[in-house]
Amino acid sequence: MTALSLTARTSLERFGLKGPGAADWLLAQGIGVPPAPNTWLGPATPDDETLLVARLGSSEFFLEDSAGGSVLAAIEPKPGAHPPGVYPVLREDVSWLLTGAGVVDVLAQVCNVDFAALDLTHRPVIMTLMIGVAVLVVPQAGGEAFGRGASANFRIWCDPTFGPYLGESLGEVVRECGGNYRGVSA
Amino acid sequence: MMYRLGAHPQEWIDRSVVHSFTFEGKTYQGFGGDTITSALAAAGVPYLARSFKYHRPRHVLSFANHDSNLLFQVDGVPNVRGDVTLLSDGMRVSAVNTFGGLTRDKARALDRFSRFLPVGFYYKAFHSKRFFPRWERMFRRLTGLGVVALDAKRETTAKRYGFCDVLVIGGGPSGLSAALGAAAAGARVTLVEESPRLSGSGNGILDGELEATLRLVGAVRASPAITVSCGTVAAAYYADHWVALAEGTRLTKMRAKAVVFAAGVIEQPAVFRNNDLPGVMLASAAWALVLRHRVAPGRNVVMVAANLEAYRVCLDLHAQGVKVAAIVDWRPASGSGPGADGTKGADETATAACEAAGMRVLRGHAPYEAIAGRDGVVTALDVVAVDAGGRPAPGRRQRLACDAVLMSVGWAPAANLLLQSGGTTRFAPDLQQFVPATCPAGVFAAGRLNGVYDFEARVVDGTRAGSEAAAHAGFGVASAALRASNAARAGAARCPSHAFPISDHPAAKNFVDFDEDLQVKDLENAAQEGFDSSELMKRYSTVGMGPSQGKHSNMNALRILARYRGVGVETLALTTSRPMYHPVPLKLLAGRRFNVERRTPVDAEHQQLGAVWMPAGNWRRPEYYAVSGESRADSIEAEVRAVRAAVGLIDVGTLGKIEIYGPDAGAFLDRVYTGKFSTLAVGMTRYGLMLDESGVIIDDGVIARLASDLYYFTTTTSGSATVFRELLRLNASWGMDCALVNLTGHRAALNLAGPASRAMLQALTDVPLGEAQFPFLGVRVGQVAGVAARLMRVGFVGELGYEIHVASGDAAYLWRALTAAGRPHGLRPFGVEAQRVLRLEKGHLIVGQDTDGLTDPFEANAAWAVNMQKPFFVGQRSLKILKQRGPRQTLVGIEVQDAGGRLPKECHLVIERGEIAGRITSVVHSRALNQTIGLALVAPALARQGGEIEIRAEQGVMLKARIVPTPFYDPTGLRQRSAVPVPEPDEATV
Repeated sequence: MTALSLTARTSLERFGLKGPGAADWLLAQGIGVPPAPNTWLGPATPDDETLLVARLGSSEFFLEDSAGGSVLAAIEPKPGAHPPGVYPVLREDVSWLLTGAGVVDVLAQVCNVDFAALDLTHRPVIMTLMIGVAVLVVPQAGGEAFGRGASANFRIWCDPTFGPYLGESLGEVVRECGGNYRGVSA
Repeated sequence: MMYRLGAHPQEWIDRSVVHSFTFEGKTYQGFGGDTITSALAAAGVPYLARSFKYHRPRHVLSFANHDSNLLFQVDGVPNVRGDVTLLSDGMRVSAVNTFGGLTRDKARALDRFSRFLPVGFYYKAFHSKRFFPRWERMFRRLTGLGVVALDAKRETTAKRYGFCDVLVIGGGPSGLSAALGAAAAGARVTLVEESPRLSGSGNGILDGELEATLRLVGAVRASPAITVSCGTVAAAYYADHWVALAEGTRLTKMRAKAVVFAAGVIEQPAVFRNNDLPGVMLASAAWALVLRHRVAPGRNVVMVAANLEAYRVCLDLHAQGVKVAAIVDWRPASGSGPGADGTKGADETATAACEAAGMRVLRGHAPYEAIAGRDGVVTALDVVAVDAGGRPAPGRRQRLACDAVLMSVGWAPAANLLLQSGGTTRFAPDLQQFVPATCPAGVFAAGRLNGVYDFEARVVDGTRAGSEAAAHAGFGVASAALRASNAARAGAARCPSHAFPISDHPAAKNFVDFDEDLQVKDLENAAQEGFDSSELMKRYSTVGMGPSQGKHSNMNALRILARYRGVGVETLALTTSRPMYHPVPLKLLAGRRFNVERRTPVDAEHQQLGAVWMPAGNWRRPEYYAVSGESRADSIEAEVRAVRAAVGLIDVGTLGKIEIYGPDAGAFLDRVYTGKFSTLAVGMTRYGLMLDESGVIIDDGVIARLASDLYYFTTTTSGSATVFRELLRLNASWGMDCALVNLTGHRAALNLAGPASRAMLQALTDVPLGEAQFPFLGVRVGQVAGVAARLMRVGFVGELGYEIHVASGDAAYLWRALTAAGRPHGLRPFGVEAQRVLRLEKGHLIVGQDTDGLTDPFEANAAWAVNMQKPFFVGQRSLKILKQRGPRQTLVGIEVQDAGGRLPKECHLVIERGEIAGRITSVVHSRALNQTIGLALVAPALARQGGEIEIRAEQGVMLKARIVPTPFYDPTGLRQRSAVPVPEPDEATV
């Protein structure tokens, strides 16, 4: 079994989009759009280098490139030059990967969502609170078994001003559960 | 005297493990698996505690955590419950609520003065203001339980969420059956039980119930669908089947789809004189002590009975070698009439069995008075015959010698959580018990709580409830056959509770509530004084308000009230049940003490610069920057001077930052702010005031127009989340063609202010900063130190200044670049305190400090920001009314007259002719102006320029202040419009 760990993700290119034209604009850029709100497309595992596209609502999207990827840098709308109905959203999130044995025990201590009961085949995007902080969570396959037989790693994003608090707090829980925390250096 | 019995296969103790511990300084021993109470009982300690009010000696009552007789101080931890706390080696245990130790407790004299301490005496005796401080000191010494060790080690516990389809509360036969029934339907089940083990309480050995229960336990343990949690109290029920489960070391917040309440019933004490003596206990307590911990209640036991359970317990105890000398059965000999059980055959069989075992059975008799020996322990029980109505008839008394009195006269349902869930109960006269009447969706009741007493019927009832709960959660279908079978069995229920197990006595001391030392007469007196409903009687007498929360007292209290009023119990209501049902240690509620804190991306830079931190809402911000050799006041003053004379830099990243895009963006802003923004030129900013529907100021900020369909605006630090939420709500309601984006955490903001700011910044940016190219209130987009930035010329501190907004990830780099570039210009970072001084010198208000929950723009002198010509904005209609009515208060500037160094503080009152006429909202001593200045909300009649007001400062000292116009500093605003010469860097005084 993989050891429990919480790892801060190195800075990845990311931005958001909202507006009535956002979905069509993404398709025009050759980027697949998740069919339903609160679902995602993209990397099947944390090591997969595919672009992540999360649909946060009917017309709001969050995109994150892989490490070393250059897709987003090429297509991001320039400030003040956005197409009609396509509104860029600055995203400076802090993000982590939570994975390994006992990950559900960690999540049970910090979040009110029953992650073990999720059907991951639907690729759900979870927007919830984690110890008082609004977070975006994407469970990905490839981790250890948990709950009703599904397996997942958990990618977690939050507003950067909550980053030190959320990282330290989650890290404390992970360490108590026998795992490792690799945070962001100053 | 209690003593230890020999081994038994069902015992919970481990005789191979011996623990030594001290109690009141004396050393004792107990076994592994003993609780503190059982170990002390086995050691024959005559009494273990003193009662709350009269300091009477106390021992076991319920042994089930349903009373607070036995709270101990253990290793510095107060109020440890001895009945359920396992013994460990080296424990240091002492009694609480004593003065001079348990045996020599000085306060035991209070028992003799009880006639002077009737119910509610404190309301009548201690109302004199003159003497109240003395009474307060006395009560603080005398009352309270346990001692809090202020130097105790801080403990954190890990709260967690739990999830299941069906939560079953109670691990007796009906709870076990409910769990099995739900699991059989495919549900995930969590079963919680407050005892350390699953076994159910009071299930008879001789009649095979215990064995049958243990078979159910085996089936539950073998089921992979059932998670069992023992030693867990379901402490509270909240909406949507959210149940707080208090385990020993943590709180689990359980979310269930359905809940089965199978928590059973709580045995109730009989009420007679001295029913609280050591040695007088509930029959279920004796049963648990004997079977689980192998402690006999005494060597010559008398049972006070009113049901079949009493006889079963007697036979079980007899089989364990405990001598039961007599059974005093409250019920009439005929088996009919008040308190009759209804199953005559079973009654007669039980009586015969007990008599055959050598027990004397006295039918139609009631306990009248327990007699204490010299050591305070019971030595005899006086009994009297009951009359035709079942009431004790004082007359000829029989004295029964004994060293233990057991009570089995009835039960009350543990229905508190069911009531918290919104369920209701009704009084069932045939059972003499409250039973569920209605349950909300997803809530089910089973077993004795549901009024089902027959063992097999409890199993069927539990299975029925479990399958119904599973069906509600989406698993299987509830069985109609089960429901019918259950109803048939329930109809055959017998009555295990006496209707009125209470003996009056002229000398009283017949206790109803053992926590609060309340006697029958106390409750009657309360009713007599007019507190004659269950809620009023509770609050006046405090019945049910002790640590047990009425578990052993509420039912008898209700009976006494009903008798006093001459009505049936069914006409009275139970008191409202609220969380927590059972005391929960605060450490479980506190958990890890997560404390949400936000930090700007420049936090590490501030730390390096010596920032002294302060909380600002849930942010941490630099109050000021400590410099070696400078006091706090000097550092703040130096920061102020730097801004006024050269240049200062402050991190204002905590401000709310919102973008709004779309064709209707300007029109939307016109609706939510008092000003007009749809006609704001691209490249300019404007101050915005936000009101609620009643015209009250709720927020303010600066709105910048970056493009025809793009605005970027700020809110106050504390208002960012609520304002954004409200704007989203309004947009959803109005359906305008625009979109809002909250960038508060994703953008940082730095404010560079001071006469040297332009020269300093020009060297770093490609944006022309000349007055003509970038006028006051303008906004520009460009680069600063190579970083994409938005620059706004705003004037919160009243100097030439630029608010620079960048992506969060670039902020720390930009801060370093600005501080490096600013050094030759005398730049000094400044914190929140310096900013407070600077903005107050300019008379700028802070929403929420200089305004309150009623302040409108007219009162705040902000009418200039209101454009009443617009067709609509939120609060406009109210402003029309408010303008006609006139202000109730007015915000004015003040200069405090020389008061010999004394200063008023914020919220000090303005007094006019002895009445409150306003308050100070902001005040500082400005060294630049050599004057103490401030803002105050005052009655309109006082708001005359040049007028004088009086302020009541600390210790009632009255200070005078004069009303003056604002701004105090640079009243024409020339400095922030850069119309003054910029000093050379070497002329700056920093």
